[in-house]
Amino acid sequence: MGEFRSRIAFSMLIAALVAAATISMVVDRRGRLTGGSLLPGWSRVVLDAAVPLQKMVALPFDVARDAWTRYVALVDVADQNQALRSQLAELREDNLQLREALVASGRLERIAEMRADFDVPMRPAELVGVDVSPWFRSVLLDRGQTDGVLSGMPVISEDGLVGLVTATSSRAAKSMTVLDRQSAVDATVQRSRSRGIVRGRGSEGIGFEFVARGADVVVGDLVITSGLGGVYPKGLRIGRVTAVSDPGSKLVQTASLEPAVDFGRLEQVFVILRRGPTMELLYRAEDGDAAPAQPGS
Amino acid sequence: MKRVLGLLGLGAVALTLQGAVASFLPAPFCPDLGFLLVVALGLCWRSAVGGVCVAGAIGFTTDLLSGSLLGQHALLRLAAHAVARFGNRHLNLRGALPQAVFVAVLTCANAFAMALLTSFFSPGTGVGGVAVRELLPQAVANALFAPLIALGTARAVARLGDEDGGQRVLPLAPRGRIA
Repeated sequence: MGEFRSRIAFSMLIAALVAAATISMVVDRRGRLTGGSLLPGWSRVVLDAAVPLQKMVALPFDVARDAWTRYVALVDVADQNQALRSQLAELREDNLQLREALVASGRLERIAEMRADFDVPMRPAELVGVDVSPWFRSVLLDRGQTDGVLSGMPVISEDGLVGLVTATSSRAAKSMTVLDRQSAVDATVQRSRSRGIVRGRGSEGIGFEFVARGADVVVGDLVITSGLGGVYPKGLRIGRVTAVSDPGSKLVQTASLEPAVDFGRLEQVFVILRRGPTMELLYRAEDGDAAPAQPGS
Repeated sequence: MKRVLGLLGLGAVALTLQGAVASFLPAPFCPDLGFLLVVALGLCWRSAVGGVCVAGAIGFTTDLLSGSLLGQHALLRLAAHAVARFGNRHLNLRGALPQAVFVAVLTCANAFAMALLTSFFSPGTGVGGVAVRELLPQAVANALFAPLIALGTARAVARLGDEDGGQRVLPLAPRGRIA
């Protein structure tokens, strides 16, 4: 009788756990679509606790990496320094010429006035951990709601677009990177203005999907955010075209991109503290944290 | 209770370590420590209730620290734990090689289940050629670490008070044939 009871209890435990997992998935998915659901309280606590733990565990790795990159692996530094100096000189010259042209056309003052209107507030954040699952590409940031970071806000680095904040607690945030297979960003080729969608492909980087007919995409083209989806601001660098597939008879062609951001060395990012119109619409009803946002710009 | 808490702590350490190590190793070559721990518990811990509770907790925590839907890993960790228990009952998984092969196969099954779940909830993603290319190194990495994790987990279980940790009795004869 006792064994029978314990078997029933065990079956009920399994059923409860499976039901909890299934319901969580459905609720989470619904939250991603509507932007209306909140993370459960316990999960915020876990997310908050994860940041100091991750920092502590990553410390020896960071020290080892710093020691290696700063004191040991300095073979190419002199050459790199020289190349960067010459590049800097060229850019200074270009900058000077452009300024001269702007002054000549009388547009510099007007641009300076406009800049104040378009000044976007940003919050620097440190990347404290990457996705613990090999099938997804999210990162954990050490800034949360107390710093003004909310779900749906874009994340960038000095090199370009990193991703989107998908969940926050009071002191931590989870951001889905553009490498994640669930990520889709409305993008455009800077040179030809051909439009398409940049999709994450996991460890294979990112791909740019565009309508083959009439599109002008060649190797070396820079792909930037189009700003049309209302998620990311316009003009953020996403990556450079490295290969263009043969479309054959297909309507949609795909180009491989090398991400502008080196995700393997990413440490410091910036959260743009302003959501795009689509994200604002999705999350307008929320007071605190939000569930992950619907990917795609 | 002490064992469950101890193993939950071990799970937290595994996930934290995974988050740190994954920053340095390419994702497909990084062993999935949470998954390996759950499988190892299925192989060496007698308590079914405790194993299920720890597997579920590790799964939910993985979901929180990952881009997956909340509950996705939890469901798959429960399944992986159940399969490991079932496999340990019906197969001889005592040596390093059988454990490695078993974990490699289980990693593939887990990845396909993950891809199916992802494509069900987020159409347009999921099973694809790219994912399959990532699967092989992931299976090899998990297989290489599996015996080590199983040994460590068995010792941890034994230290936390389960005398039979890692020493599950194997049936000597097929059922129903004993005279």
